[in-house]
Amino acid sequence: MSGGDASLEGWQPRVGEDASLAEVVEQAFDYRGDVTVVRTDGSELVGYLFNRDRDVAEPFVQMFDHAGGGPHHIRYADIRTIRFTGKDTAAGNSYAAWLTRKAATKAADSGSRA
Amino acid sequence: MSVPLSQMWTVARYVVTQKLRGTKRYPLVLMLEPLFRCNLACAGCGKIQYPGHILRKHLTVAQCLRAVDECGAPLVSIPGGEPLMYPEIGPLVRELVARKKYVYLCTNAILLKEKLEANLFTPSKYLTFSVHMDGLREEHDEAVCRDGVYDQAVEGIREALHRGFRVTTNTTLFDGADAPRVRQFFDAMMDLGVEGMMVSPGYSYSKAPDQEHFLRRRRAHDLFSAMLSNPKKRWRFNQSPLFLQFLMGKRDFECTPWGNPTYNVFGWQRPCYLLQEGYAETFQELIETTRWERYGRRSGNDKCRDCMVHCGYEATAVDHTFSSWRGMRDTVVATVSGKL
Repeated sequence: MSGGDASLEGWQPRVGEDASLAEVVEQAFDYRGDVTVVRTDGSELVGYLFNRDRDVAEPFVQMFDHAGGGPHHIRYADIRTIRFTGKDTAAGNSYAAWLTRKAATKAADSGSRA
Repeated sequence: MSVPLSQMWTVARYVVTQKLRGTKRYPLVLMLEPLFRCNLACAGCGKIQYPGHILRKHLTVAQCLRAVDECGAPLVSIPGGEPLMYPEIGPLVRELVARKKYVYLCTNAILLKEKLEANLFTPSKYLTFSVHMDGLREEHDEAVCRDGVYDQAVEGIREALHRGFRVTTNTTLFDGADAPRVRQFFDAMMDLGVEGMMVSPGYSYSKAPDQEHFLRRRRAHDLFSAMLSNPKKRWRFNQSPLFLQFLMGKRDFECTPWGNPTYNVFGWQRPCYLLQEGYAETFQELIETTRWERYGRRSGNDKCRDCMVHCGYEATAVDHTFSSWRGMRDTVVATVSGKL
C-alpha cells in the first residue's frame, strides 16, 4: 500500500464474498507486512508473501515465514483465505509526514529558544 | 564524460558482441541487492518497507556470484538497502573485481570512512563508490530524512579519494528541485574531486509513499534543461550523454527494462529495478517469461507513463549509441565537446 492509501492491516476477507481468491492474493502480494495464509486443510502459515504467479498451469504463491524459513510454495488451490495480520510497514511513512514532523520539530526548537 | 577508457571499451565490446550475436534482450548492468536493510529510512524509498524478518535476510556471496555469472552483464551495481551493512561486502567485492566486473557500490557513505579504515577494500579501476547525494546539505539531509548525513557523506568521499578509490555521486532529483541550487551542487561535487556524477529523476512507483512528490515527465524535462543546457566544462557525468539529452527532452527513448535486471533475496525481479510485479528463479526465466510488452511508456502502462529513471533508459541510450553510425557520432560529439 502506498502512503496515501488506507491500509489493509487487519483485513480478514471472506473469499468468494468480499473478494475472489485471485484478488485477495494480489492484495497480499502488494501488502508490505506479514499475512496469514489459511490452507484448505485448516493449517496456517504466517509470513511475508513475496511472489505469486497465476499465468502457469498451477497458480502458486511464495512466502518466507516469520521465523525466517522458506521460500514456501503454496498452490492457489490449497488456499482457503489470507488474513492481513502483520503490521503494514508502508503505512504512515510518507514524505509528507516527514516534512510535517520536521516542521513541527523546528517550530518546537524555535519556541523553546524564544 | 568521465567514464574511464577501459570501462568504455569493455562496455563497447560487450554491446557490439551482443548485437553481432543478434541477442534481442541483453543486460547491461546487474542490480545486485544483497539485502534490504538500511541505516537510513528515507521517505521516498520503498525498498526498506518490509517486516523485520525480511530485513534481516541477505544473500550469500555464492548466491550473488551465481547471479553475476548467470546474467553476464559487464557492470554490477550493488544498491540495497545499504550495502556497507552487508556482512560479506568485502569478500563479495573482491570476487567481483577478480572477475573483472566494473562494480558500482551504491552507498549513503555513513559507514564508508569506518569500512575504509578497516581496510575492507582495495583501490581498483573495477571498483567505484557511488555515493548517494541528493543535493547540497539542506536538500540532501531533507531527502534522507536525517540531519548531518551530507557532512558524513562528504567525509566518506574525502577519505575514499584520499585512499585512491574511484568515487562518483548518484543524485535523484525530486519535484521542487531548484536548478540553480543543483548547479551549485555540481560545482561542490567537482570541488570535492569526484570522478563523475550521475543524475536521474525520481520515480512515482506504486509502493513509494510520496508519489505525488516525484517528478512528472514534462516538469522533469524543464528541470533538466535548466540544469544542463549550459553545462560547465568542469562538470563530469558518469553516464551516457544521450541519456542526459533524453532527460532534457532532446531525445525520445523507450524504456529497456531488461537492461538493468535486479536480483535480491526474492529472486530475479520482474520487470525492472523499480517495479515489483513478481519474481523469477533464474535469469533465463526472467528474460524468457516476463511479458515485456506490458512495460515501457508506449505500452500504456500507467506505472511506466512518467518514468525517466536511469535504470530504464540508460541502457536504451547505450544501445542507441551502438545501433547506428548516427548514434555513435552523436555520442562522440557530445562526449568530446561536453555540450548536451
